[in-house]
Amino acid sequence: MSQLSNILNHDEEPGSEELLRYLQGKATDEERFAIEKQMVDSSFVNEAMEGLQHFRDPEEVKNYVAQLNRQLQKHTDKKVTRRNKRKLKEQNWLTIAILAILLLCVTGYLLIHFLRVKH
Amino acid sequence: MSNNRYEHISDQELLQKFYSDRDNQWLGIALQRYTLLLLGVCMKYLKNEEEAKDAVQQIFLKAITELGKYKVDYLKSWLYTVARNHCLMKLRDKNIFIPVEDDTPLASPETDRSELANKEITLTLLETSLEELNPEQKTCVTLFYLQKKSYQEIVNHTGYSLLQVKSHIQNGKRNLKILLEKKMNTNG
Repeated sequence: MSQLSNILNHDEEPGSEELLRYLQGKATDEERFAIEKQMVDSSFVNEAMEGLQHFRDPEEVKNYVAQLNRQLQKHTDKKVTRRNKRKLKEQNWLTIAILAILLLCVTGYLLIHFLRVKH
Repeated sequence: MSNNRYEHISDQELLQKFYSDRDNQWLGIALQRYTLLLLGVCMKYLKNEEEAKDAVQQIFLKAITELGKYKVDYLKSWLYTVARNHCLMKLRDKNIFIPVEDDTPLASPETDRSELANKEITLTLLETSLEELNPEQKTCVTLFYLQKKSYQEIVNHTGYSLLQVKSHIQNGKRNLKILLEKKMNTNG
């Protein structure tokens, strides 16, 4: 009867490595069961596995994933750098503005001081 | 950035981090978890390796833009919807129309993770509910969940097609849960 709990229990989601092994027919019985259970519960996993079976070479899928992840990382890193640069520019302007105000104050004070001394 | 370091962080937590500091790297880590699944879904619809790869790239870009605009709670299901819509649009551009399948999830994971799962009484009720399923569903559910047979083994054993086997297991599970809930309510 304990096997009945398999119907209600939720295992941890299989990772990419397990999914790739399943595609290549190299998954262990336990991995295979966990993946097929996921396919019952999740349309996302089910459709993905159907699609992945259409690739000519499952080994090539690994390369595609690595390539896509590299491109994604480049993109997310770039955005951050760009944003950081923008932040730096904004900070530079703020410093210049503060310095300009301070300079004006000092010049104003000196001007008033010298005028008073003259008089 | 090695993503193994972030394995223990859930999607929701990664999204929270992104929403608090707007650092796209958090999105990168979360999205990479679904690259393989997205590639599979795109391949299922587009049936072309290069087009599927391009589609995943476009989906990533779209995700980065959209996630910056509004809050998403469940990244996985949101990404799946984005991917499907993207592929269906691509196909529509080519004048290919695919009937949308009923993809209503069997149940939310939260419901499935119900604490009831291991209680003796639930399992007893489940056992009686199993007897009430139609013969096809009962056979497939028993072979799959109780005897842990693979889809292919069930196909060989029953003579049903793969699609039929999947459908009997899905519908069988859905019906079992309905029967179980009814029994639980009756038992109070």
